[in-house]
Amino acid sequence: MNTFAQLLVGGLLTGLVFALVAVGLTLVYGVMDVVNFAHGEFLMLAMYGALGLALLGIGPLLGLPLVAIALFLFGIVVYRVFVRRLLAGPPEATVFGTFGLLVLLQGVAQATLTSDFQSVSNPPLQATLRFGPIALSQATLVEGIGALVLTAVLFAFVEYTETGRAMRALAEDRVAATLMGIDVQRVNGLAFGIGAACVGAAGSLLMLSYPVYPTAGAPFALTAFVVVALGGFGSIQGALVGALLVGLLEVFGGFYLAPELKLVPVYVAYLAVVLLRPQGLLGRR
Amino acid sequence: MTARPHLYALGAIVVLGLLAAFGLREAVVLDLIFTLLLYAVLGQSWNWISGYAGNISFGHAIFFGCGAYASALCVTHGLTPWLAFPAGALTAAALALVTGFPTLGLRGHYFSIATIAVAALVETFARTTPWLGKANGFELPIASGWAALQFPQKGPYVVLALALFAAVQLATIALERSRLGYYLRALRANHAAAASVGIDERRCKLIAFAWSAAMASAAGVLYAQYTLFIDPPSTLALAISIDIALIGVVGGIGTLWGPAAGALVYVVLAKAVALRFGGAGKGYDLVIYGAIICLIAALRPYGIVGTIVDAIRRRRGALA
Amino acid sequence: MHARRLSALLAAAFALAAIGGGGATPAAEPPEIVIGAVLPLTGPLAQTGSGLRTAQVLAQDLVNGHVSYPLPLVGKSGLPHLGHARIRIEFADSQGKPDQARAAAEQLITQQHVVALIGTYASSTTATASQVAERYGIPFLNPDSSAPGLTTRGLKWFFRTTPHDGTFAENFFQFLADLKKTKNVAVKRIAIVGEDGLFGSGASDAEESGAKKAGYDIATRVAYTATTSEVNAEVQKVKAATPDIIMQASYLPDALLYMRGYKQQGVEVKAILAQDAGFIDPGFIKALGADAEGVFTREVFSLDIKHRNQAVPLIDQLFRERFAGKPLDGNTARDFMGVLVLADAIDRAGSTKPDAIRAALVKTNIPGKLTLMPWNRIHFDATGQNDGGAGIIEQVQDGKYETVWPFDVAVRPVIWPMPAWKR
Repeated sequence: MNTFAQLLVGGLLTGLVFALVAVGLTLVYGVMDVVNFAHGEFLMLAMYGALGLALLGIGPLLGLPLVAIALFLFGIVVYRVFVRRLLAGPPEATVFGTFGLLVLLQGVAQATLTSDFQSVSNPPLQATLRFGPIALSQATLVEGIGALVLTAVLFAFVEYTETGRAMRALAEDRVAATLMGIDVQRVNGLAFGIGAACVGAAGSLLMLSYPVYPTAGAPFALTAFVVVALGGFGSIQGALVGALLVGLLEVFGGFYLAPELKLVPVYVAYLAVVLLRPQGLLGRR
Repeated sequence: MTARPHLYALGAIVVLGLLAAFGLREAVVLDLIFTLLLYAVLGQSWNWISGYAGNISFGHAIFFGCGAYASALCVTHGLTPWLAFPAGALTAAALALVTGFPTLGLRGHYFSIATIAVAALVETFARTTPWLGKANGFELPIASGWAALQFPQKGPYVVLALALFAAVQLATIALERSRLGYYLRALRANHAAAASVGIDERRCKLIAFAWSAAMASAAGVLYAQYTLFIDPPSTLALAISIDIALIGVVGGIGTLWGPAAGALVYVVLAKAVALRFGGAGKGYDLVIYGAIICLIAALRPYGIVGTIVDAIRRRRGALA
Repeated sequence: MHARRLSALLAAAFALAAIGGGGATPAAEPPEIVIGAVLPLTGPLAQTGSGLRTAQVLAQDLVNGHVSYPLPLVGKSGLPHLGHARIRIEFADSQGKPDQARAAAEQLITQQHVVALIGTYASSTTATASQVAERYGIPFLNPDSSAPGLTTRGLKWFFRTTPHDGTFAENFFQFLADLKKTKNVAVKRIAIVGEDGLFGSGASDAEESGAKKAGYDIATRVAYTATTSEVNAEVQKVKAATPDIIMQASYLPDALLYMRGYKQQGVEVKAILAQDAGFIDPGFIKALGADAEGVFTREVFSLDIKHRNQAVPLIDQLFRERFAGKPLDGNTARDFMGVLVLADAIDRAGSTKPDAIRAALVKTNIPGKLTLMPWNRIHFDATGQNDGGAGIIEQVQDGKYETVWPFDVAVRPVIWPMPAWKR
């Protein structure tokens, strides 16, 4: 029974980590129909950034907003210079354009930062917390709370702010939104930037538990794509629900099936959901 | 658009290729040509489903893997690897039908991610199944001769790759002029309108997908007989699927010569960059490759051939 | 349109020929003996490949130089039996991919006309490159790939100096047997944990068969994918199996996940025996601090063996000067030795003919003290495997890796059992 409880908690916390990475991705898709395949590399950059700050003595509390802001600006630049042009082309252009970005960013990281695993010495928040029979590390708890906060903040932003409403309008009907006077390029750019900022926050938190290297973001990104598709592209709540589901499936699959097969239930579930409900669990259209 | 100029071009390539296969001795150049042809075949097979049918796949490596593993299994069970051509093709086509039936109706990104999910499942299966070699894969013993489909020199391999390339190009030329080809084009232009005229989207795409898988499998057989070593990372990994997709896209999605052009760029670029910058282990090659793809995506999204075709059309004054 | 396409094709063919032709080297000043090295110089293993290259070039320079060390063929200004011909290593990139390694080997053999090949680190790339060598009848020396299957292929031209996973697993059990004798340690149940790629599954397979042979119970065997972001289920499985010790093969990110998981979930074992890789990465102790204390890892090499061969610190110093201050490690030391072994064989052959070099390799018998390695000797058995190789075992003590076994090279005594997890 204890094992079950531990697995449950572990699965939920893992899911929250996935949610952390996935919310930024789903926002961008919802607003401009772009799946940023370089999402994992944005995460990787954020982790390097957070690591750099940590080496300068700036801990995660202050480091997180700094990295988030840096990624926000980076996201806006990438949008203005690159993604905007991709959107003007055929739909495949965004797909392989962001793939090119993935390759480019990984290459730049390897060329400038080497492919060594990098981390801080004696990272903070490593102590074990106990809640009855359940044990978890402080870092994992912080990541989990961070995910919930981020999701809530993003949701509030999208629901209650002017810009957020503009984003939702664009997501629903681009032509009508433009006719209503919404500056598409500006809102797109902001959405991309905010998506990047979310990933920035994710990276600062993940740096507590994972070493950083040029391809560090890839496995998270892959799971994020599945999570977002499962939850419904464009739905923030969907991303959270999808992520929790994936986390639970992975952990329980690992224990009751076999660890090397733990992603099988995840992918099977994805395929099942998407077949029965093509727009994902909570997605529109 | 008549097929004749394309047939002439194909004929010229075959002639050049045969000259190279019989005339050149340099193993390095022949290796490049072989790789080029193999990638062109893979790219074209991908083109059928992602270009002509319009469902971009990021899991195409699994069909390539079908052929490669079929070959390895044949050899390790004492059968001739020639059997792997039909066996691998049938397996690949079956896999395509089974996975395509539920997923080909999915829109855009959902399908692409579904292909990643399916590919991950296949890769996990190969990596955890004992009779598929698990993580070790297979090493094919050295043999010689046409029966064993293995040769000490490169020439025969190039000839086989050439034959496969020619077959695939001819099939694509035929596709473009066939009813299936027109249906696919109609579907790409407007799903709803096409459906209203009675075009069965799922059926058309399934056929294209199955053929696409069979072609990729044939390339896999050749690869296995050439490299003599296969394992999940070298035949089923996401990275391989991405390479195949990038070749198709850089060359020009949905065009006849796109994959060949993309393969050319890929091989020449990868080799040239590795030669120039390789030694330091710094990843400059990745930087350059990535930058080029970004530039093409942003500035010339129809790929090389797509851009050329576009320019020709405009010069002719035809309506796009 | 014809013309454009045709000229494009011709240009492509020309470019291809140019690239191919560009690889040929101009005639060098005689006499020079060219050895081909296939290494992962780009791609995910590029970092390691770069170090291996540095080590090989260092060995080449020492062979060609006149400064003597207690190592085979060093400081004799080239190969004495071949008129003091110098050796030169030509490098080709495997990119860490088996098909590229094949192409690289072929390029070295057919274009650079190398007399022997050395390489390639990753076992999958070594498999294909050595197949090429076998076809062409060129000796292939493998200093650094550990998959046991490489020497069971019945190849005639393949020689491997490094011990393989099977030997390393045997070392674990010899270690346990020695501990039983000297410290009266009792181990019954072993949990085997390994990533499911070539490295981990090879190590786990070897550990499992070794455990069965030595009569231990296998409490559980856990295989997982290295890129995983969590190990909840895995750790629970290990915990539920109540092992006495854990044998593990992981890379750094997963090693950290497991160590933290073991600590959080209170998986108390007498020892964790790790197979190198992530557990000896500098990031391991860095990230875990005190939680890393007591972990055992097999290693291939250690600077601690300097009392066996005084050249160890000297070569280490030379290497650091060439490689940004990084010390000599198991990989670079093995590659360094590989070049020496090859040069030694070519010298004894007194000829550059492949058959002669092969015959000389077969007769190789270098005492362990004359190598940089903690090996008994370098001598190839009938399958081409060095039968004198062995690993050592280190333990993390006071934040550093200390050699603790074999006992005659140990610098510190074994701490058994591992300290309990600090809450």
